[in-house]
Amino acid sequence: MAARIRPHRTLFTVAALALLLASAALGTPPRVQAADTPRHGGILLAVIGAEPPSLDPHQEGTFANIQLVAPCYSTLLQFDPLNFSKIIGDVATEWKFAPDGRTYTFKIRPGIRFHDGSTLTAADVKASYDKIISPPPGVGSFRKSSFTAIERVEAPDPGTVVFKLKFASASLLANLASPWNAIFPKKYLDQDPNYFKTHVVGSGPFKFKSYTHGSTFEGERNPDYFVKDRPYLDGYRFFISTETSVRAAAIRSGRAYIEFRDLPGPEVEAIRKQLGDKIVVQQTPVSAHWGISVNNNLKPFNDIRVRKALTLGLDRYTASRVLYPLNGLKLIGGLMRPGSEWEMPEAELQKLPGFGKDIEKSRAEARRLLAEAGYPNGLKVILKNRNIKLPYQDFAVFVIQEWRKIGVEAEHRPLETAAWFADGRDTGNFELIVFPPVEFMDDPDLWLGIYTSRDSRNWGRFSDLRVDDLFARQARTLDPVERRKLAHEIERIVLENAYYLPGLWWTRNLVHWAKVKNYVAPPNYYSNQKLQDVWLAED
Amino acid sequence: MRAYLVTRILLIVPTLLGVASLVFVIMRVIPGDVALLILGGDSGQIDRAQLAAMHHRLGLDQPLPVQFGTWLAGVLRFDFGTSLWTGRPVIEELLIRLPLSLELAVLATMVAVLISIPLGMLAAVRQDTWIDYVVRVISIGGLAIPSFWAGILVILFLVVFFGWGPPLVYTPPWVDPWANFQQMVWPVLTVGYRYAAVTSRMTRSTLLEVLREDYIRTAWAKGLREGEIVIRHALKNAMLPVITLIGTEFAFLIGGLIVTETVFTLNGVGRFVVDAVAHRDYPVVQALVFVIAFGFVIVNLLIDLTYAWFDPRIRYRVIR
Repeated sequence: MAARIRPHRTLFTVAALALLLASAALGTPPRVQAADTPRHGGILLAVIGAEPPSLDPHQEGTFANIQLVAPCYSTLLQFDPLNFSKIIGDVATEWKFAPDGRTYTFKIRPGIRFHDGSTLTAADVKASYDKIISPPPGVGSFRKSSFTAIERVEAPDPGTVVFKLKFASASLLANLASPWNAIFPKKYLDQDPNYFKTHVVGSGPFKFKSYTHGSTFEGERNPDYFVKDRPYLDGYRFFISTETSVRAAAIRSGRAYIEFRDLPGPEVEAIRKQLGDKIVVQQTPVSAHWGISVNNNLKPFNDIRVRKALTLGLDRYTASRVLYPLNGLKLIGGLMRPGSEWEMPEAELQKLPGFGKDIEKSRAEARRLLAEAGYPNGLKVILKNRNIKLPYQDFAVFVIQEWRKIGVEAEHRPLETAAWFADGRDTGNFELIVFPPVEFMDDPDLWLGIYTSRDSRNWGRFSDLRVDDLFARQARTLDPVERRKLAHEIERIVLENAYYLPGLWWTRNLVHWAKVKNYVAPPNYYSNQKLQDVWLAED
Repeated sequence: MRAYLVTRILLIVPTLLGVASLVFVIMRVIPGDVALLILGGDSGQIDRAQLAAMHHRLGLDQPLPVQFGTWLAGVLRFDFGTSLWTGRPVIEELLIRLPLSLELAVLATMVAVLISIPLGMLAAVRQDTWIDYVVRVISIGGLAIPSFWAGILVILFLVVFFGWGPPLVYTPPWVDPWANFQQMVWPVLTVGYRYAAVTSRMTRSTLLEVLREDYIRTAWAKGLREGEIVIRHALKNAMLPVITLIGTEFAFLIGGLIVTETVFTLNGVGRFVVDAVAHRDYPVVQALVFVIAFGFVIVNLLIDLTYAWFDPRIRYRVIR
């Protein structure tokens, strides 16, 4: 046990500075409509483009899950709904950490009730995090790897939770503010750790009302919500439709008021043209990029010259101009989101293969490398992909026509989702495959773990001990400047060796009726989904 | 007749068994593992012990014949098992969607029959006149325009010109007939149009063939009126292929309107099948294919039985 628990000043200063920098760099939109007088009542009608695989946010990683269930749950900490990247409490009212950064103590707000009437205590927080960190057999945990620093979670009394760490972790607080880490009532987890795959019992601003697969998901106001006078809405209802034009038409006709993820540019323009100032479009960058995993264990992709040729053959600057109007793929960056505090400076990026502005020079170099590798007449490859048009297939079509210019003939094989996961993630049955990492924040712990050995998101199955070592070091480094250096070093190694071929970073259009007030779109489509502060100016 | 009927009903059993076996095998041969999908979500962390435990929980660690036998035994008790994804009984999931698909199929069939038979008759009787040309243009349009595209155009037309769109949630007609009408009228017209196009062309061509028969010439020679000749003598004989087509289309509509259901946000059987395949939800896929195959078999049997009413020369007997 640490001698005396008190706020660690250096750590606190560093974290505060990082958050300040992050909010500036993220370009968080201004507080939209925050000045209006809130009104109670009304049902928020939303459209969503996919069906959740299950209702348990601990076990899922898709917007189709979190957007539906987040309003029903509380988390230990949260990102400020009106100022993304600022971490505030949710069920935790205050927290402090030991000088060595290895013990975090959280005070739990008293009197919080779950929707079944039981009281939320530290035991529920511990049970929820135990499930995330060490899931029992047969139970998935999507974010287990985000908590490798945690040794154990303790609940010494009903109002206190203590996280004991193996090493000080710079990303811990942000991970604890993740919208996915919902607090479940312990008694249901004791009965069945998979209980929440099909049930929703939380302590959030809304109570689960109904879910009809393939059709609707509904929540109703929780009158016992622990934040006074919240939520403003009487409830919310999501309509599920996989068809983009249907979702856009639902917004245009007023059958739905908001699409929380994205609508393509042409649809947004049509909606704007028809509805004028009745509509608000919040454009934000997204912590998501579309790139290509290369099977590093397979000939000829185990040859660095071939991999380098493939990345040199991609004109990312033209791609940005061509693809942005079609599907929002716009920003050119390395392995960390451009515009975030972790981005690689442009001058540095342009020195890396595939990021130079003289594309003809890059193509000549690509052809030379292919010839040197034994492919003077070019190469035939198979590019597997997910059979979803936006932006997967548009991106692949662009890549294929780019590679043709260096003599690489790529056969495009779109696969339905299960086969895409089976070939890409599970078996490595591919040469090249489109793979988009998507996260809820920009921290290197989340973004760079993908390139370490044995990480299940490392679809390219490469192993570079320098990357593993640098990753472990940055995870333990609390100084953001030093951490940034280490992160950039990882990026340089991955990009110079073309272990993975990044494409473009995504931007999105969040479209809603102007009567939907007090919703500020973050640079991802996972956080700020509790809707506790959202209100409707009229029904 | 009775022996024929009994034989046909008994033949349903091996047919359904064959379909069930085929689907069972196909679902297990195609790549993708439901346990991996459940554990992994979009790109999660999976270890072997978790995977094995999930296989055990889902009963997927049993030998294939045991899995198939268990499923078949359940079917005999009208228990199609539990969805691996939703955790709810498959029968419950099916009952949510089947009424919608049946309503759409029945109404689209009614629209198609009401439009196509008179149009097909008119086109045949007035062959090579402007009426025939108009009917042919309408029917070729129906064949050429995919229903989902027509559906998107209908929605866009309503939204752009009237600022109105159909409701996004299905309301059964017995709950709120007006809300049901507002949602169902557009897919019914869209699907019914394509269906009518196919049927009217068939009506026209078979009627033209029958109108050239000797007995029709005799009827004209006897001085019968045109209406009586066409409706009483020609149409009934021309209807056999049309009835077959209507029946097959009807059975197809119950399970095959995936894209139309998507466009009109109808939570029907078609989308459920596709989602279940994508999720490798074996019990759901097996149950749905089983039910759709059952629908096909029954509709085909009914079609065969109606032949005798249209053509009294047809006799039913079992060939030994």
